[in-house]
Amino acid sequence: MSEYTVVGQTVARVDAVEKVTGAAQYGADVHPAGMLYGKIVRSKQAHANILSIDTSEAEKLPGVRAIITQDDVPSGRRVFATDKVLYLGEPLAAVAATDPDIAEEAAELIKIEYEVLPVVQDVMEAIKPSAPLLQGDAAKDGPNRREISAQIRKLSRDKENDHSDEISKLEAELENYPDEVYYNISAESHSEAGDVEKGFAESDVVVEDTYVIPRVHQTYMEPHVSVASADSSGKVTVWASTQGPFAIRSGIAGTLGIPLTQINVIGTTMGGGFGGRFGVIITHVPAVLLSQKTGRPVRVQMTREEEFTDGRPAPGCVIKLKTGATNDGRILAREALAFWDSGSVSGASIGSTIRVRGVYKIPNLKVDAYGVHTNKSGTAAYRAPGAPQAIFAGECQLDEIAERIGMDPVKFRLMNMREEGDEVPAGGSEPKVGYKETLEAVADAAGWWDREADENQGWGVAVGDWTNGCGPGGVYVSVHEDGSVRIFHGSMDITGTDTAISQIIAEILTVPYESVTIRRGDTDSAPYSTGSGGSVVTFTMGNTAKLAAEDAHRRILELASERLNMNVDNLELRDGEVHVISADPPKSISLGELAAYSLSTTGGPIVGKGSFARQSSTPALAAQIAKVEVDPDTGRTRVLKLVASQDVGFAINPMAVEGQIEGGTVQGYAWAMMEEMQYGEEGNINPGFVDYRVPTSADLPTVESIIVEVPAPNGPYGAKGVGEPPITPTLATMANAVKDAIGVRINELPIKPEKVIDALKNNGHGA
Amino acid sequence: MKGFEFFEPTTLAEASRLFAEEHAQLLAGGTDLVIGMKALAETPQSVISLQNIPGLAGITSDADNGISIGAMTKVREVELSVDIQQHHTALAEGASEIGSIQIRNLATIGGNIAHASPAADTVAGLLVADAQVDIASADGERTVSIDELFTGPGQTVLVPGEIITRFRLPNPASGSHYIKHKIREVMDLAFIGVAAAVNLDNATITDARIGLAAVAPTPIRATEAENLLKGNEPTAELLEQVGEAAAAASSPISDLRCSAEHRKEMVDVLTRRTVQQALGRASG
Repeated sequence: MSEYTVVGQTVARVDAVEKVTGAAQYGADVHPAGMLYGKIVRSKQAHANILSIDTSEAEKLPGVRAIITQDDVPSGRRVFATDKVLYLGEPLAAVAATDPDIAEEAAELIKIEYEVLPVVQDVMEAIKPSAPLLQGDAAKDGPNRREISAQIRKLSRDKENDHSDEISKLEAELENYPDEVYYNISAESHSEAGDVEKGFAESDVVVEDTYVIPRVHQTYMEPHVSVASADSSGKVTVWASTQGPFAIRSGIAGTLGIPLTQINVIGTTMGGGFGGRFGVIITHVPAVLLSQKTGRPVRVQMTREEEFTDGRPAPGCVIKLKTGATNDGRILAREALAFWDSGSVSGASIGSTIRVRGVYKIPNLKVDAYGVHTNKSGTAAYRAPGAPQAIFAGECQLDEIAERIGMDPVKFRLMNMREEGDEVPAGGSEPKVGYKETLEAVADAAGWWDREADENQGWGVAVGDWTNGCGPGGVYVSVHEDGSVRIFHGSMDITGTDTAISQIIAEILTVPYESVTIRRGDTDSAPYSTGSGGSVVTFTMGNTAKLAAEDAHRRILELASERLNMNVDNLELRDGEVHVISADPPKSISLGELAAYSLSTTGGPIVGKGSFARQSSTPALAAQIAKVEVDPDTGRTRVLKLVASQDVGFAINPMAVEGQIEGGTVQGYAWAMMEEMQYGEEGNINPGFVDYRVPTSADLPTVESIIVEVPAPNGPYGAKGVGEPPITPTLATMANAVKDAIGVRINELPIKPEKVIDALKNNGHGA
Repeated sequence: MKGFEFFEPTTLAEASRLFAEEHAQLLAGGTDLVIGMKALAETPQSVISLQNIPGLAGITSDADNGISIGAMTKVREVELSVDIQQHHTALAEGASEIGSIQIRNLATIGGNIAHASPAADTVAGLLVADAQVDIASADGERTVSIDELFTGPGQTVLVPGEIITRFRLPNPASGSHYIKHKIREVMDLAFIGVAAAVNLDNATITDARIGLAAVAPTPIRATEAENLLKGNEPTAELLEQVGEAAAAASSPISDLRCSAEHRKEMVDVLTRRTVQQALGRASG
């Protein structure tokens, strides 16, 4: 039995009624009087020089109120392409008109003259010297050349001794790696621990493979939308569908040179985000520019097609991975070389390549990662950015090793998992985390130990780790004369976070959950709050809420002490009343009475303030097991069972936590089996839900969720961020299950029927 | 969406006259047309609704003429019709594969066919039902067989002003089945679609029809494969030959969904399965 009464309980979400009744106000529901409709004019080429942009015909169209281009951007920050477009759908201009159809027609009337350039979409092609140089980038050395060059530089710096012989020897060695000069590199990231060469040499089994993970879209239900209204005084109001209103405010200020306090960002109810709803350029800046130019409110709303061509999806990547282990099951070394498809913007997620280390004791580790420019839109965060990709490679390869040495995949993982105090390869010391508990929990629940499989059926297991972020936040809490409690803050509710905050405050003030209400302010009114991404909200705002409630708690006892003329040490807050400890007869005063009393005191009303910025977070683990059946003639895979456990620290609202586990697992399943943004010379060729497949409830059995609670020292009640971890292992879980079912491994996602058939054929199975 | 004139005629003659004019489009369920118009892929100057013309919707059945399906019959109604489920199972199964229930409540079988997508889910079922397509215009009526209706992707033998009014299915099959190759369990488009219908006399196949969707510029019958079955008793070897013959009859393309080679292989695999299922139904 929990010692708590509100936290740790499943309660109805604070937004349940407004969501169910349709009363929730999303971005597209905002419609100020006189609003115009904006439309972005987009490149029809994937790579081309812009020779001219002619807006004259569009300007003549009745109903057109403004047309803007990069010339209208005061900071010069790239909002619209000017001399060159780098991907299909890149913005070139924007139109505002009295009607959405007129805006669309005007966009079509703008004549763009292109000089078409060669296109490169494949990262492994883009790094070759034969590829078109997309952003004039300098070439970068690969891992071996990098190491040799570093030695040469070190020797050259030593002016006291003559190293010319050694240097020329090293320079000759450079010639051994002629292909190790990579082009179109946007960013790089390198980490190292121990000596991998030594580790591989000591290994009994070494496995090396290349893993290919596609670019996928966050596919939030609500496309990007913003409504901007600039008034005659220069004050700008933006209704934005975003995960981070304060980041949007500073982004608009920086891009358009508007003072921070002249911008108010009002976050509208979010129709999903998953990390993809932080961008400021995408719709918010064009909406503000169009409103400034027309003096009217302007809505800029993306279509689903625009979401695919000009959203900021998760990067695909190619990971070459090598792992060495001993016959008795100890992992000795792992080396990764990754190329991330960054598209037109530099290097999102590449730092996550380090996650190939997993949660294992790997004494020798080397990770080299490069971001590569291609003719695609830029990428951004998607639920544990970069981790599903890296962990897919790492966990698939672990199964291959387990198979070679004849060890059970769960036992092999348990044996190598880090424990409290162990060294984290290239990353400090391990805190207490329920790695083994979580994996054991899923194995027990799924029936792993006595698993059975008919022909063409198989079981797969994988684990994935992630650590929630942390950021600044502020919360006010006030207690009213009727004993009700009101919370005020500025953080966007991301699937249940407002509910968790409300539960925490109800717990501390010992009031029923139902008597707490929560209100989100805009950036003009609310204290600063970090963006709702990186699984930060429950951790950050939960801690902030706790501080605010504790502050109010202090004031409540102070008031009761005054009112009852008792020392605070003799008072306790319990069941919404302040009681005198061991009073006989019992003596108490309600929160409502104290709130009413407070209005006529010197100290004033009950207002608690919480302000918080940083505490170190604790890693979380998600462990999953799938049972699948593959049709060897059609290549179709059916999931028979999918079980997911997660160390959540402490589940403040267990049903909401299970919802996160299910949602992340399903998104991981989709990435493994069907989702893929496809590109040709012309750009993205599946910009819609017909050929970009997301699963429906008919594709999966109910995901069985298992909550494991190993408290995080700094989390509110021990809670960790729960949103991101569950997507991290599923790609590998599925691939490992398919391998177990058909005996053939597919290292290139998604595992579509055709790939299964081809893989079987290549292994002599033949349909 | 571009502006357009909207008409709601109450007679076929009136609808036909309006439809004979340039840049005119018929509106049946609207589940393809409206999406096309929103995407500016379709920019008709006039849209003619068939909604108010009496007699175009509904399923009738009688012993002499078999089943008749009005062109404006909702796909969902085709899917749930007990008569169609019993005598033309492949068609009911094909109907059940289209979009979601919400879409099937709006979409019509006439629209699904007149749109002339080679991947339409009802088309293979109509092919193996030997459907006769009644067509009306201001000049009169004519009937074409379903396998003569299509001339290419999005193309039919219909001339301006001609409107499909009815599908007549005179020959019930004793067993039929439709299989769609897809990735997602529901709400996916057919990578390929295969329907088979058979009649049995004891163990001998007296008649066999195989319809293939999304494997050629138009939906096609695999007549060579059908001929292999006719007059024979089914064996594993025969089914293998039938699958191969059907694959040989197909001429699929490679596109973003899958390769031509994969489609051809799946025609082979799924024809065998579909015929097997149809035979099972015919004998069961």
